Amino acid sequence: MQTSSRRWFGHGLYLVIMAALIAGVYFSGQKINYSWHWERLWPYVINTEPQDIIAQTDGTAVVSASGQLSITPDFGGSPQIVPEYDKLVARDGDLIFQGDTIARIEGWRFGPIAEGLWVTIKISFLSLIFSIILGVIFGLMRVAHGQVWRNLAVTYVEVIRGTPLLVQIFIVYFFIGTVFDLDRFTAGVAALSIFTGAYVAEIVRGGIQSVPPGQMEAARSLGMSYAKAMTYVVMPQAIKRTLPSLAGQFINLIKDSSLVSVISITDLTKAGREVVSGSFAPFEVWFTVAALYLLVTGSLSWAIQRLEKRLAASD
Amino acid sequence: MTKSIKQEVLIQARDVDKVFENGCHALKNVSLDIHRGEVVVIIGPSGSGKSTFLRTLNQLETISSGRIEIDGVHLADKSTDINKLREEVGMVFQSFNLFPHKTALGNVMLAPLKVLKRDKAEVEQEAKDLLYRVGLHERMGHYPSRLSGGQQQRVAIARSLAMKPKALLFDEPTSALDPEMVGEVLDVMKGLAKEGMTMVVVTHEMGFAREVADRVVFMEEGELVLEESPERFFNSEHPRLQRFLGQVL
Repeated sequence: MQTSSRRWFGHGLYLVIMAALIAGVYFSGQKINYSWHWERLWPYVINTEPQDIIAQTDGTAVVSASGQLSITPDFGGSPQIVPEYDKLVARDGDLIFQGDTIARIEGWRFGPIAEGLWVTIKISFLSLIFSIILGVIFGLMRVAHGQVWRNLAVTYVEVIRGTPLLVQIFIVYFFIGTVFDLDRFTAGVAALSIFTGAYVAEIVRGGIQSVPPGQMEAARSLGMSYAKAMTYVVMPQAIKRTLPSLAGQFINLIKDSSLVSVISITDLTKAGREVVSGSFAPFEVWFTVAALYLLVTGSLSWAIQRLEKRLAASD
Repeated sequence: MTKSIKQEVLIQARDVDKVFENGCHALKNVSLDIHRGEVVVIIGPSGSGKSTFLRTLNQLETISSGRIEIDGVHLADKSTDINKLREEVGMVFQSFNLFPHKTALGNVMLAPLKVLKRDKAEVEQEAKDLLYRVGLHERMGHYPSRLSGGQQQRVAIARSLAMKPKALLFDEPTSALDPEMVGEVLDVMKGLAKEGMTMVVVTHEMGFAREVADRVVFMEEGELVLEESPERFFNSEHPRLQRFLGQVL
């Protein structure tokens, strides 16, 4: 039995160790004369700076009665019309030179990192759904009575598990993607779903086989067909048993989604790479990217834990 | 026994042979008629094939040769809908096999809802009545993990009854129970027998056999050795039966 004071001592020691680690990171930065610029990062996440609208030609500003701004070029050609703005800089009749700020748009926009995060969430979510579908189908085939189903399922699982995801992404994008004319995003989702589906299939198979055979027999002896017995009796129990391993697999899926940046999908990782070259703040960017991945995986694992608790009602 | 004359054969097994894939010859030429409303108790040492025989009666085991007919329908016929047939022959297992993710009430309701696709309110009322009948109406909201072995087995019996079967098969229903819970399950079974349910019971409960059975069957090494009324059965001088009874009594 742990006494309360020992437990608090443990917590305290943990905090000290964590503080030491963070200090270690900070001083290593100092040692290589790294100057931290967290503030540079912010506009790449959410940009609150007003956006300038620049004149494209020399000309005269015209503000119509309804407030629409346009520039009439001095030397002919079609006028530059500004569709929307929040604040006028140029006034009606002003002489404008190319490159002048003529109006501003206020408010905020998502920066590349936030947009990358959104792509990562979208691609992970879609792949998760499809990998569950693939995993359940092939998991059921793996325990089916027909030999042909079992062989097909084993082949799928072994081929996918035995080759690197990176190679699969290239094959899906360059081969399958060319044959079926898939765009990058679809190819990325397909590759991730097929890859994760193989692991989910194995987890589902394990789950089904962990349900005592008496459950199937009891269901069948009540007149249920194989499909009904699977749907209402075996699968609900199997899914419950496999939730912890499924959670691990889906967390892997989110992390693996970073590999789709190789086919030029601007996910969180690729956005990070681009922002590093624009902001010259690599440490800040990569720490932020890591923290955002942690946020997504953490939320998922929290959600699955909630689900596990709810399903534990019958324990 | 003062039951009505049971002429009509409900379950008929003829020359049933079963050889498992590993070569084990589990059933050798077993023939048995079970009449409507009759209670047949099968006893025998473990490994005698009595559970295997019971399981062939609703096709949980296939047979290697021979013939099984239930209410005039051949089990082995390709045209026989085995699911339909299983609806009519309920089974109660040694290890209860309740569905752990459903409450007692949910266990009883599942098959009528999903197999017969009956109206939910109606099914629920019937399920409650059944649980009342086995004395568990106060526990219908409990999950199996919160029920004792005896209670679980009674729910399992109610679950089988919910499909309104023509016959019930019991595979050592009290063998996994603590001694003090055996009685409550046997009482439910006795009640069913009194109501005229056709029952085939594999058990080691000699008292139950003596008291409730219309016929007692002794099996050993895959063979049906003896088939008698209880009075004559327990007074039989058959040497193999004597040896077995000497071991268990």
